[in-house]
Amino acid sequence: MRYICLVYLVEKDMEAMTRSEADQCTEESLAYDEALRTTGHLVAAHALQPVEAATTIRVRHGKLSMTDGPFAETKEQLGGFLLIEARDLNDALQVAGRIPMARRGSIEVRPIKEIMR
Amino acid sequence: MKFLFTIHHEEKTLDDMPAEELQRLVDAALDYSEDIRRSGHYIASNALQRARTARTIRVRDGKVSVTDGPFAETKEQLGGFFLIEARDMDEACALAARFPPARIGTIEVRPVHELRHS
Repeated sequence: MRYICLVYLVEKDMEAMTRSEADQCTEESLAYDEALRTTGHLVAAHALQPVEAATTIRVRHGKLSMTDGPFAETKEQLGGFLLIEARDLNDALQVAGRIPMARRGSIEVRPIKEIMR
Repeated sequence: MKFLFTIHHEEKTLDDMPAEELQRLVDAALDYSEDIRRSGHYIASNALQRARTARTIRVRDGKVSVTDGPFAETKEQLGGFFLIEARDMDEACALAARFPPARIGTIEVRPVHELRHS
């Protein structure tokens, strides 16, 4: 069963880290991705650029609107995600609890929904 | 370059939709996935179960806390995502605008940040 682990963090805190702290964070995250690849849990994992790099899109009555910036201004921001394959929710929670960024931010774990014709 | 589309909508909008209309939207979304797969843009996508099925996890001082529900209660909820490959932000946004549920929801397009070993 697939789950998405959404990593929320305060971007300002990340920017305030020293170079060596930031490097350590990156190394831990890359090492964890590799560990999840080995155990067969990993489908995809990516960090995201800051919310200021986002564009928000809506189509209403056939008219397209595009605005700069994220969908919602929030205290913490979506900083990345891991798409995983897990046996069940418990297994997914185990995986999520070991995400290095869980020590600095929050991880939302949500099961995916199969949609079909 | 990789981009993440996050799709936000009011879950109630979907709940209130007649079954046939909802199925047409699902079919259109699946056609879209197939189109962008053929054009080489597609990497991964999934719809998500309702926000109330989420659990939120934090680890502080080595202690794990798990709470029921999404990270934040919002008027619109994250309903799904696409991970895609595009030349640049303009191409990514043009692709996102073609996603049929953009008519009822909101799509946030964000470039991926490639992590590299120091």
